[in-house]
Amino acid sequence: MTADSLLFFILAAMTVGSALVVILASNPIFCSLALAMAMISVAGIFASLNAWFVAGVQLIVYAGAVMVLFVMVLMLFDLKDEVRAFSRGLVSGFFKIASVAVIGGVIAAAVWMSTETIFSTAPAAPTVNATVATKQLADLLFKKYLFSFEAMGALLLIIAIGAVALSRIEGGTHADK
Amino acid sequence: MGRDSFEITVNIVKMFAIFLLMVQAVPILVWLERRGSAFIQNRTGPNRVGPLGLIQLLADAVKFLFKQPFMPERGVAPLYYFAPIAALIPGALALNAIPLSTPIKIEPFEMLGQMWGPYTFLFQGYDIGIGIVFILGISSLGVYSILLAGWGSSNKYSLMGAVRGAAQGISYELALSLALVGILMVYGTLSFKEIVDAQAGPLTFMAFGKEYVIGALPNWGIFYQPLGALIFFAATFAEANRLPFDLPEAEGELVAGFHTEYAGFSLLLFYIGEYGHMMVASALLATFYFGGYSIPFVSPEAVNAFWLAKVDGANTAAILTAVTHHLSLLVRVALFLWIFIHVRWTLPRFRYDQLMSLGWKTMLPWALANVVVTAIWLWLGHRT
Repeated sequence: MTADSLLFFILAAMTVGSALVVILASNPIFCSLALAMAMISVAGIFASLNAWFVAGVQLIVYAGAVMVLFVMVLMLFDLKDEVRAFSRGLVSGFFKIASVAVIGGVIAAAVWMSTETIFSTAPAAPTVNATVATKQLADLLFKKYLFSFEAMGALLLIIAIGAVALSRIEGGTHADK
Repeated sequence: MGRDSFEITVNIVKMFAIFLLMVQAVPILVWLERRGSAFIQNRTGPNRVGPLGLIQLLADAVKFLFKQPFMPERGVAPLYYFAPIAALIPGALALNAIPLSTPIKIEPFEMLGQMWGPYTFLFQGYDIGIGIVFILGISSLGVYSILLAGWGSSNKYSLMGAVRGAAQGISYELALSLALVGILMVYGTLSFKEIVDAQAGPLTFMAFGKEYVIGALPNWGIFYQPLGALIFFAATFAEANRLPFDLPEAEGELVAGFHTEYAGFSLLLFYIGEYGHMMVASALLATFYFGGYSIPFVSPEAVNAFWLAKVDGANTAAILTAVTHHLSLLVRVALFLWIFIHVRWTLPRFRYDQLMSLGWKTMLPWALANVVVTAIWLWLGHRT
């Protein structure tokens, strides 16, 4: 076993372990902290694949901003009622079984579709300098996929404006129509 | 890590040395902070223990180490104990990624009956090609330590401080990153070393396809990005939770904010994290806007030639060259650290709404405008 594959197995174990904590822990704070840990481990996997820029952006955007907001908002709430409502009852039971079915399907499909790649012995792509790789990524994003990139930006802007508009209504989402 | 045992050993020792540099600078900074604040407020400050009160550092350290550790009864133990450690990680990782001096080229030499080398040692823990993205990513994780401490100690003051700290950290991270985008556009690279190399020589800029040289000024980033430097500098205060942005531990309202329930060694770890953040911010400010480790108007080759004439042995000269450049960076870092301390004891604290409106309504639009103006300037500059 080489050092690279050892690193991969450590990072993969961390990702899967913290992802398991996300769905198994009952305290939402621990769930969101474990999700942040999973994000950081995924960033580590990106870095071990020499995708340094993606790893950095994963850290900045997901682990550093999105999950911090999640954790911060969850800390402000007293979530005892929500926890009780979510851990009992027929409806949530149905959702639990449904999500188990979905995740089972996803895992089966992942195994099914990746058997060819896992057992192939194709040589790894040559690694390029991190700055060069970042420039290649930028070329793809701003030339080939420019429209979809800008459309994503516009979509996110619409979401942000919508969230601000909702929060300015008296009573928020529960306002009388 | 390296090709043989000597290189691997040096590289590992280097990382620990830089971490220890950060930890060991903290007592000196604390002494400077106390003496400096006394100087600014017309007091004497600690002056009894040792000459100029310098042994006070040792006394403080002993006190911190021997305090009885305790945990709040209803605290969450894993989070409570992990938070101070998490405060150290971003600073240590970020400081290791910043080049602190020129690389040292070592010619082959004999040791323990065997030839070693040649080697090239970088004067930094590790060189990640896209240093800027790495630093931003790592420093954005610093908020977690505050959040964990606030929630883990199960105290309302702590929680308020933690939530304030997280909101403030995210708000100012935007302005800070956008200020750095200007630097990225000017230098066209994500690597620290290339940025420092680009700042060598006299001030040279392009305007309408022609090149202008101002011989009296060094080619530093601050002359290209004055507004970016100002926004970056201001945002680092908020990131490091220093006055005038120290709302997370506002002692007038929140006792001590997120570290209310901490004492002794774990409190000391928070302090090391804060001062580490200041050191990283100062080193980054020097690297991006003030020429990094370069000496104005003197090339590294000239310094190397000077040392070659003074001492015998190319290896000694290479090491002395690196040390000279390292001192050149340390002078800047010390100056910025002193400004950090001076500002803390000069400006009053913001109110929380003022802090938020400064971040979102003033610094963010100005940083965006800086990016747009830089883009237009670059377009004009390279247009014939």
